[in-house]
Amino acid sequence: MKKKLFSLLTLSVALVALNLPAEAKKTILTDKDARDWQVIAPQDSDYPLRDYAILYDAGGTDGSIGVIGIPSMKTYRHIKCGTDLHNFPFSGSNAGNNNGTPDGKYLYVSDKGADTIAEVNLQTGWVERLFALPKPFGIHHSAAISPNGKYLFATGELTGKMLKLRLSDGATTVLDIPPAPSAPDYPDTSKDGKYVFSGNYYHSAVMVFSQDPFKLIKEIPVGKNPHGTNVSPTNRMVSVCDKLSATISIIDVDQLRVRKVIPVGAGPLHNQFDSLGKYVYNSCFVSDSTSKTDVMRMQLVDEFPIHYRCGHNSIAPDDAYYMSQNKFSTGLFTPTGIIFAVNFEEQDIDETSATYGKSVKLAPVDGEPHEGRQIFATYIQRWNTGKGEDLFEKGYDLGDYHVNFGEKGRPGLPANQHPQLEPNHTADSSRTWIPRDDGKPGVTKEGDVYVVRVKGFSYGYVPRFIHVPKGAKVRLIYTNIDKASGLTKNPDVTMGFTAAGYYGPRTMVFAVRGMSAVNEFVADKAGEFEYYCQQFCGPLHLEMRGTFFVDPPGGKASMGVGDYDEISKQETMLAPNEHQWIVGTNKLMNKLNEGSEPTI
Amino acid sequence: MKIKSMGFAFVLALVSTVFLAQSAVAELGNGSTNKDCLQVGTITKLGNRELTIATKFEKASKTYTMKLHPDAYVMTGDRGVFKKFTELKANDLVAVYGWNLDGSNYVARRVVILDPNSYLIKRLESDAKAGVYYKHEK
Repeated sequence: MKKKLFSLLTLSVALVALNLPAEAKKTILTDKDARDWQVIAPQDSDYPLRDYAILYDAGGTDGSIGVIGIPSMKTYRHIKCGTDLHNFPFSGSNAGNNNGTPDGKYLYVSDKGADTIAEVNLQTGWVERLFALPKPFGIHHSAAISPNGKYLFATGELTGKMLKLRLSDGATTVLDIPPAPSAPDYPDTSKDGKYVFSGNYYHSAVMVFSQDPFKLIKEIPVGKNPHGTNVSPTNRMVSVCDKLSATISIIDVDQLRVRKVIPVGAGPLHNQFDSLGKYVYNSCFVSDSTSKTDVMRMQLVDEFPIHYRCGHNSIAPDDAYYMSQNKFSTGLFTPTGIIFAVNFEEQDIDETSATYGKSVKLAPVDGEPHEGRQIFATYIQRWNTGKGEDLFEKGYDLGDYHVNFGEKGRPGLPANQHPQLEPNHTADSSRTWIPRDDGKPGVTKEGDVYVVRVKGFSYGYVPRFIHVPKGAKVRLIYTNIDKASGLTKNPDVTMGFTAAGYYGPRTMVFAVRGMSAVNEFVADKAGEFEYYCQQFCGPLHLEMRGTFFVDPPGGKASMGVGDYDEISKQETMLAPNEHQWIVGTNKLMNKLNEGSEPTI
Repeated sequence: MKIKSMGFAFVLALVSTVFLAQSAVAELGNGSTNKDCLQVGTITKLGNRELTIATKFEKASKTYTMKLHPDAYVMTGDRGVFKKFTELKANDLVAVYGWNLDGSNYVARRVVILDPNSYLIKRLESDAKAGVYYKHEK
């Protein structure tokens, strides 16, 4: 009996001893463990919390850049930029993965709703200039930056055009991309200054342009309906998300041909290479997963489930976290209004971590965010500790590199001034919610008002074409006629309607089942304006397109007939005394002096 | 007969040319080249805003010398702490992002001091031991 008791005691002591080191490891906070504060016992050093990285997200329908701490996932602020934001690079250089080599000064975000690019000053936290693009353009998946940080390349998805923009003054060169239908999709620039790669959604191909001179040189066939297209940090390959083929196509940059097609999860949308180009992570919408592909083995090596419906993504600058920027949250969070909050899901991708492959945080976010990019928090200076004047006058240092904060070399703009612009999100229209309207779709006239009834469903509009005369008072009644929880397991979705460009801030409405959204405005500018769904609704969301024609007196509007010169000034986005900060417009179209404008 | 032979020879030459064109310039899969825009390795020599590295995790180490771009900066890869160029030391493991201007002058835009204990480095090490080398894409 004693022997048995002794054995039992020995075994217990051994078990306790075996457990001790693990317990000790859990509770000791080292510098290296600091980021894992959320998975270990609370420590005194946890407070006050300072995030080591910052996620900027193009907030989509809220027209704001969201500023979110990593790893805390606390939202610090929203920066108002316009109507419907989609994608951005940081200023500096494109060297590296999607996060680039920032200088901490700006980001340049495309506004699909207003058809502009907003320059956000990361140090002030405000919009500083508004690039007014030549019209009609129909920007969507902008923008990629050149290695020397002097140019942006943007895609005009809604018109089948591509654009190169000089950042100093907004001068542009625009290329038409035939044959129609042509929908230039996400662009990325090669790191050596040679190429711009952009998926062409309807051609199921990746277009290759030379950066300088800017021209189309090749189309490379890839899988069906390519979406995210990103160059690896090594510049050796491009990963293309073949959305409807459930594969990624790996393009050899040196040979400009597809080297390998790798099966990943269903519905791959976007790529994130880690900082060394070892892995590429893909958001797979239909399979509700993050795919992890080893690009040295050229094969899928892991897959992490996400809550549901991922879209865009981003990766931490130290490669420790991957952010799945999910599209739907129906039933997940506390209801706060008619339009549900979407969510971000933070996944631990550190292979040595106890929570590798797991989602460690999930939080609701505003708008319907698109592209996200992350930088170390060390780029952003502390302006509020009495150092403001010094920083303003002298700039700041990133190691040996001195960054001037006072701007020079911007033609016609005052130096050493940093405006606090808040471009209009919505403007010159009124919006109301009413019980579901079941009137026949199309245009009718009630008194002097043109009543436009539009029905939205997964995935399209009735009608596809709308004509009103210039000067018409328009009452748009938009109704979501999806019968139930959509296709491919989609939860109950919100359907959007935005006529891009001049009418973007005037028309953007949302529709949920059971209600209709009403919007009233005056169609005071003639032209052809593509309308689209601004709230992600499913895998064929991009197919939701139609055309709103505002016909000039005695004629029909088209891409060539309209008040485009006036519209291109974008003056209604800012107050009159702020118009000096709007740069570009039609007047500078095709004025780049190609051949003497190196991109590297 | 002579015409047939000439035709055959022409086709053979055409196929061979296409094959050689496809394979002779293949760089993906054969280790780093001086056209890559990211090199990973240890510092072997430091000069006046110039560094030389010996690449790591490849089948055979290669040597590259890079000049720092005027806007280049040095930082740590784990927390983004900015450093002076003079703080770099021989044997530091670094990632250098940049580009090759004309085939011989490599410009470094950003130098990142890597943590040898980070999971990516550990993975590259263990993969190389297992015969899966960095930049030797399958």
